[in-house]
Amino acid sequence: MAYKRKPRKRRSYNSARLMQSLIIHVILLLFVFIALFPIYLMFNAALKTSRELFQSFLTLPTDPQWQNFGFILNEQGYKGALYNSLILSTSSMILTTVISVLAGYGFAVYRFVGKQWLFLLVLTGLMVSETSVLIPVYQLLQDLGLLNTYAGMILPQAALGLTFGVFLMTTFFKDIPRALIDAAVVDGGSDLQVLRHVIMPLARPAIMSLALIEFMWAWNSFFFPLVIATKQWLMPMSVRIIDFMGRFTFKYDMIATTTVILFTPILILYLITQRSFHRGITFGALKD
Amino acid sequence: MPRFNIRPYIFIAPALIYLGIWIFYPIVNALVLSFFDSPTGRSRDYFWVGIGNYSKLFQDDLFLKSLYHNIIWVLLSIALPVVLGLLLAVLLSGRGRSRLMYASIYFIPQTVAAVCAAIVWRWIYDPSIGPLNWFLETIGLEGRPWLADESIVLIAVNMIGSWSYYGFCVLIFMAGLQNISPELYDAAKIDGAGALQQFFYVTIPLLRNAIIFVLVYTIIGSMKFFDLIFVATNGGPNEASTVVGLRIYWHSMREGRFNYAATMSTILTIVILVLSVAVIRQIVTEGEDD
Repeated sequence: MAYKRKPRKRRSYNSARLMQSLIIHVILLLFVFIALFPIYLMFNAALKTSRELFQSFLTLPTDPQWQNFGFILNEQGYKGALYNSLILSTSSMILTTVISVLAGYGFAVYRFVGKQWLFLLVLTGLMVSETSVLIPVYQLLQDLGLLNTYAGMILPQAALGLTFGVFLMTTFFKDIPRALIDAAVVDGGSDLQVLRHVIMPLARPAIMSLALIEFMWAWNSFFFPLVIATKQWLMPMSVRIIDFMGRFTFKYDMIATTTVILFTPILILYLITQRSFHRGITFGALKD
Repeated sequence: MPRFNIRPYIFIAPALIYLGIWIFYPIVNALVLSFFDSPTGRSRDYFWVGIGNYSKLFQDDLFLKSLYHNIIWVLLSIALPVVLGLLLAVLLSGRGRSRLMYASIYFIPQTVAAVCAAIVWRWIYDPSIGPLNWFLETIGLEGRPWLADESIVLIAVNMIGSWSYYGFCVLIFMAGLQNISPELYDAAKIDGAGALQQFFYVTIPLLRNAIIFVLVYTIIGSMKFFDLIFVATNGGPNEASTVVGLRIYWHSMREGRFNYAATMSTILTIVILVLSVAVIRQIVTEGEDD
């Protein structure tokens, strides 16, 4: 076939194109600024004295008040709150991840009666919020004697992320080539062996994503802990901050310090594992 | 027909039982509680009142106001962070590796706890010492008491929510755009489609899944949110920013009117369900018309 290829046009950088590219860059950078500036302010307020803060909130602190952190953690007893946050998020992360991996295996690998309906039932859990279930959950915890206990804080929190977890694990496990699983079964592998030696190694990034997201949700969670942990020794960081605000409304530097303490661990975790976060969040959205 | 196999049920049982105890049973129980009342505060000597709580609820101006605020919040969240997220994702789609960097940065506010975001923004909005009014006054505009002015407080708080949410939308839409093959745009260009036409006739239809997901997620999130508003304004001033979540918390934990609060929870569940299904159906049937 006589087919003459056109010479590729060279990109011409005329002024209109340049202008367009410039505008796009300005917009993109503007939103970088919007995203980061409040966070900069948060750190800045935590490290300045009140007096310096009121003079200017833009400049970097001349004499960073690192001792603020020691004051909050040790003298104000926030070390305990940090520890409570860690227990809450680690436990609910483990609980959700383990149950989700098991259910994901069941849904992804087997065909069984009622599968569609059961999966749909699990999915409706996505539409349920803390506020919708507050009263029955509260009464249930009361009956079980779990108000103001770690278990009482952890158990309902883990349920909130479970639907997402089952959904994510099922979609990921479905992508694992069927032949690998069948081969393992033919070799006499039991379910748990297949799960451990075939699924887990291949789905490790997915499981990692789930664990990270669940950890972040539980760490940042507020509503259930606020209602369930009313004793100060049990409050996680997010709830203790509010307690602090009630007592020192105008000490912005101290309040900012508590927010930095709550935020920094998650920021570091996110910066190290961004890809995992992104994978978990986008995967759920785009598979159907 | 495969023979009956108990094993899959064993694997999914923990999840179903767990959700049953902490999600499904509470939903049903809230519905049941909504038809009863109790003589005093937290006592459980329930007596049947039929739809009594519901008729009270629909005469409760504060509840209706809070529900209205939730709906406004849904609309604001779609108008701002969702649309913005889509536009930014489109602007980023032409970029190479740098787009991942942008998206990562945009997502950072989403990792900030709502409690922290509310605290920081309370300071930013502070009429006397806050950076926002300082900035406005520097460029010659007038500052306002953002969180104390009844007419703008809801929008001001929604800005905090939008700040933390737009990066999430960018991420989802960006991933959706990656699945669109560039040839479709080439074809559209050959047919003489301009940038706007490409956007409406190629990008939007092919992003259908991502758009459904974001809209449903936004509706659910907007109907149930609590943390942000509780810390930023606690519903004030003069209940101008109150939402259903706050009413539920107030009636149950402060006043001990559990049955009344459970009625609100039930309404909330129904509204979320109806809106989500409506969005999904609307978009799915539109798709079939093409």
